[in-house]
Amino acid sequence: MLVFLFRRIAAGVVLVVVVATATFLLLSLTGTDVARNILGETASPSQVSAKARELGLDEPLVVRYGHWIDRAVHGDLGQSWFTGDSVNQSLANTLPVTLSIVLVGMLIALVLSIALGTLAALRGGWVDRVVQFAAVLGTAIPSFLIALVLAVVLAVQLGLLPATGYVALGTSATGWLQSVILPAVALAVAATAATAMQVRGALIDVLRADFVRTLRSRGLSTRSVVYKHALRNAAPPALTVLALQFIGLIGGAVVVEKVFGLPGIGTLANSAAVRGDAPVLLGTVVVTVAVVVAVNLLLDIAYGWLNPKVRVS
Amino acid sequence: MRKTAAFIGAGFLTITTAACGGTASTGAADKTLTISESVTATPWDLAKASMGPEAQYYQPVYDTLVRLNSKNEPTPNLATSWSYDKAETTLTLKLRSGVKFTDGTALDAQAVKQNLLHTKSGTGTAAGEIQDIASVDATDAQTVVIKLSHPTAALLPALGQVSGMIASPKSLENPKAPVGSGPYQLDTSATTAGQTYTYTRTSGYWNAKAFPYDKIVIKYLADPTARTNALLSGQLDGASLSLSRVKTVKDRGLNVVTYQPGDIEGLFIWDRAGKIVPALGKLKVRQALNYAFDKQAIIKTAKTGLGEPTTQLFAPGEEGYDASLDTKYSYDPAKAKKLLAEAGYPNGFAVTLPDLSALFPQEQAALTQSLKDIGIKVKLDNLPSDQIFSSMLAGKYALSYFKLGAPNPWDKVQLELTKNSTWNPFKYDDPKADDLISQISKATGAERTTLFKELNTYVVDQAWDAPWTPTVNAYATAKDVKVTPQPGINFPPIYNFAPATS
Repeated sequence: MLVFLFRRIAAGVVLVVVVATATFLLLSLTGTDVARNILGETASPSQVSAKARELGLDEPLVVRYGHWIDRAVHGDLGQSWFTGDSVNQSLANTLPVTLSIVLVGMLIALVLSIALGTLAALRGGWVDRVVQFAAVLGTAIPSFLIALVLAVVLAVQLGLLPATGYVALGTSATGWLQSVILPAVALAVAATAATAMQVRGALIDVLRADFVRTLRSRGLSTRSVVYKHALRNAAPPALTVLALQFIGLIGGAVVVEKVFGLPGIGTLANSAAVRGDAPVLLGTVVVTVAVVVAVNLLLDIAYGWLNPKVRVS
Repeated sequence: MRKTAAFIGAGFLTITTAACGGTASTGAADKTLTISESVTATPWDLAKASMGPEAQYYQPVYDTLVRLNSKNEPTPNLATSWSYDKAETTLTLKLRSGVKFTDGTALDAQAVKQNLLHTKSGTGTAAGEIQDIASVDATDAQTVVIKLSHPTAALLPALGQVSGMIASPKSLENPKAPVGSGPYQLDTSATTAGQTYTYTRTSGYWNAKAFPYDKIVIKYLADPTARTNALLSGQLDGASLSLSRVKTVKDRGLNVVTYQPGDIEGLFIWDRAGKIVPALGKLKVRQALNYAFDKQAIIKTAKTGLGEPTTQLFAPGEEGYDASLDTKYSYDPAKAKKLLAEAGYPNGFAVTLPDLSALFPQEQAALTQSLKDIGIKVKLDNLPSDQIFSSMLAGKYALSYFKLGAPNPWDKVQLELTKNSTWNPFKYDDPKADDLISQISKATGAERTTLFKELNTYVVDQAWDAPWTPTVNAYATAKDVKVTPQPGINFPPIYNFAPATS
């Protein structure tokens, strides 16, 4: 298990470095006139070239990359070209926001998908059909549309929850939950739909398996068969789907953060990408990839715990 | 188009201690003003400061030398009086006595000198505004003498904006937090960089009664939908609004003001000498372009009816604006075609335009269609939004949709109409215009206004551009908050917010 973990971590680090390097190169190759964008259209050409010098844009690409890697290895991701804010600080401010909505969204998706999937698999009939229909619908509706409807109806019209903004968990736990719940639900819909179908399918397969028939023939209750044995065996494929959904949730967060005015990493990356704020964009890419790698690692561990066969291989 | 962010985010950003919906402010009761910004703050170092919407982040902390009133005229602030010499190249300012920065340092002539020279040395837009300053002297503690390289009407207005903001000399280089002498101080414990900025009252500020709020909170909210939702649910007291949402927000009982910040938009003709599109070198062709646009229809569809047709670069109310010019080119495609034929282009010609439909869909559509209607073949060039400025400035396009903004008419002239202007990418040179501009730079008073008008008339007659309308901005406030827009400024300054008296 330790060797397995070590290999996965090493692969993760390599992935982060490769993605960061690729992003750096792509940002440099587009040949954007960042200095002009920072100063606006009223700046004179001499001010623009002074700004370019100040940012070190007149240095060769290799030198700039060397500087960036050197500082990044020492834990300093630089400063925003536009605001002068430290990238580390910006990430520290925005990452908890995104992680809050994505993780709460995943939790909602996990609980609901197991409940709905199990219900559909066990009951069958019209219940199954309703769940399947809802799942198709849930996958089809884009998350920004759900977010908009939730924001306009529940927050603006009914005033039940805040329409925008984020409250840190440390400031107020209820405030945090209130600010996170709508965006998390908007994110969770598609993930719930996809995962519920996976749980349903896997559970139906497991319930038809020989060992379940054996268990039943020994007189175990349906309840015990389903919860102690069948679900545990159906969980790995569902977890795989959920892990894949996580990456999708990070992507969906960009749009949902926008609708709810949440100062998350998606908002940060988006504005940095639009403006060509390379240090900020590089920082968000590095951290996002690192988070995705870390979550996948955690899911691998959960997978191993559920399915001992994985640990051996 | 004052800043990239505004340009790109056309239509194009945590929370206070009061966390949930509807509790951010109830006006007079808690005396907190919560507003939102569509762009992030620029660095606290004024040498790196921008002058667009970002100015709101500075206004609570840094006081300005003069205050611009609702007619954009300078009135006393940190400077209580000022006078020019006869040649208008030396400006003597008398400073208010007894003003202190929040770090305890006295605000004296030396501090003002250091600030002006520091800001001028920078690369920000605020630096660009005061490039005409040749030297600054502190003749005694309360007297500052500013020498200019040539007379400029733009200096005093600039001293009422970011360029005239005064920071504590100790904090000039790379401050982590702003230190000024203004009505408020940044509360760093309630501030998250890039998200929420909280300002609390400075005790003993000399002009406290001009600032009715005890606390100012500025939140960064990039998305116009999020801003509108926050306004409607009572989380904000003020925010800029997309024109398309004006009606909805008004219907919900909020206050909405619409105003012209002085920007002019329309078709800008960059290649007036016909370097890459020879046809544009002919006056009749440029005039034909002016007859090609149904400005009323464009205003109705793209601007929700807010605005009026124009033909000139100066906005109503600005020095040099001449209302009689606005009827010069009416919508007349037949006449446009006739002019093209007379100029030797009966079958039109071909142009390549930057495709701005991602940012300005309706404007781009109107531009393309109108040009096609008079027989001009249009090819659209797709390019990433962050390359639009550089491509235009590199002279890649003979003409394009554009929005030109500057805080005052003289800056507009400097920005587009001189040979070396930044927004004269083809370095078009016209001796008659040059002569008028050089006369304006030396003239004062009524004479200057006349010369400005003469220049304006010449530029319209010569059809240098084909402007459509002065840009209209909309700003919404909560029922209990009133805001007065400031001419020449895209977003209302902090000192123009007050509790509404109903």
